[in-house]
Amino acid sequence: MIIGKSAMAGTLESSDAQVTVEPSENGLELEISSSVMNQYGRQIRATVMQTLERLDVQSGKVTVVDKGALDCTLKARVECAVYRSNDIKDALPWGGAIV
Amino acid sequence: MSYTVTQIAETDHRGQAAVDALLVQEGIKRDAHLDYTCGVYDDDYELCATGSCFANTLRCMAVSHEHQGEGLMNLVVSHLSEVQVERGNTHLFLYTKTSSAKFFSDLGFYEIARVPDKLVFMENRRTGFSDYLRALRRSDTPRERTAAVVMNANPFTLGHRYLLEQAALRADAVHVFVLSENFGPIPAADRKRLVEKGTEGMDGLILHDSGPYIISQATFPGYFLKDSDDVSTVHARLDLTVFARIAEAMGIGMRFVGEEPFSHVTGLYNQVMLEELPRQGIGCSVIPRRSVDGQPISASLVRQAVHDGQIEQIRNWVPESTWAYLTGPEGAKAVAAIRRADQVIHH
Repeated sequence: MIIGKSAMAGTLESSDAQVTVEPSENGLELEISSSVMNQYGRQIRATVMQTLERLDVQSGKVTVVDKGALDCTLKARVECAVYRSNDIKDALPWGGAIV
Repeated sequence: MSYTVTQIAETDHRGQAAVDALLVQEGIKRDAHLDYTCGVYDDDYELCATGSCFANTLRCMAVSHEHQGEGLMNLVVSHLSEVQVERGNTHLFLYTKTSSAKFFSDLGFYEIARVPDKLVFMENRRTGFSDYLRALRRSDTPRERTAAVVMNANPFTLGHRYLLEQAALRADAVHVFVLSENFGPIPAADRKRLVEKGTEGMDGLILHDSGPYIISQATFPGYFLKDSDDVSTVHARLDLTVFARIAEAMGIGMRFVGEEPFSHVTGLYNQVMLEELPRQGIGCSVIPRRSVDGQPISASLVRQAVHDGQIEQIRNWVPESTWAYLTGPEGAKAVAAIRRADQVIHH
């Protein structure tokens, strides 16, 4: 899937994460800021990258402002942002990929 | 306690009055220009927090001290970010009191510059400003022979050209930053192209887009919409602090500016510049305007003449390329927009 346009999902509330995706031509650029960066920075990065990989997103600028979200939340927010950037509103393929 | 975040319309006088009261209570000055305002209400429909937008900036954000520590600012910034993304703005800016900057750095904002004890200017991209600096074309000239000129060129006149010629006499390279904000009747791309065409054959000029970091809606909103002098002065200081960082990165040692007898806000900006830049180790020279038949040339006057349908008047004030643009099909839309505008003289 490609990042069609800028989109955002999630909030900055505690235990959530705000994920913004934007089109980009320079491959995947991932920027993470987190209140638990020291403890879980690597884990957050891995979760986001895995989710993007599963959605077959190969380029885009992805910004995550994490407020201590669990992995499942993070995954859902990344998926939602990518779906929104493609204007997919019905039959959302949560946890899967769109081919 | 549960909270509700909702828009407060401009016409909602009761809601707006509550916002005013909250801002006063928390010692925050309300901006004269806001294009979206939201409020966070508790179960009793009391306003606990507020925040606003203008263009790609977040402004006037406050949480009532009775509710501090509950994470309400997170709600406000989440809500405003969504509003901004809907508008197509993902690169966001804000300013805040120096004492509040740390809250915003927890919400994914990074400091660009600060005016000590006044305000901090932030953006939501870690490498936004450094990427901008990296992308600017450099010149291999010594610092003391490298100059900068910032211009709106709305449109490019022989006055602008004269300013650039004067700068080029005193420097080996002149970096020309043309304002990128699409605000007036002439599109930014056209303004820049007219600078390009109007300076053909001049040596040592390097043209840049000013981007969001020089005299933009974010750094110096008072340039585009009238603000009080106090507010404009602080914003001008902020804008010039950011400029000093750009100058440092690019090895620019001086800035040239045209004398400003007409526009109040530009005059104010120049005055702050004459104080601020030397303090940052950058020279600043004011070049007297070029006059034609005793009349100093100004883009405001050019627009006024176009507005009044007396385009013949500007023949001697603009280079051939600007004349061709304003009288040809290319600029027809801009001319129509100038003619329709109520006010074409810069405040």
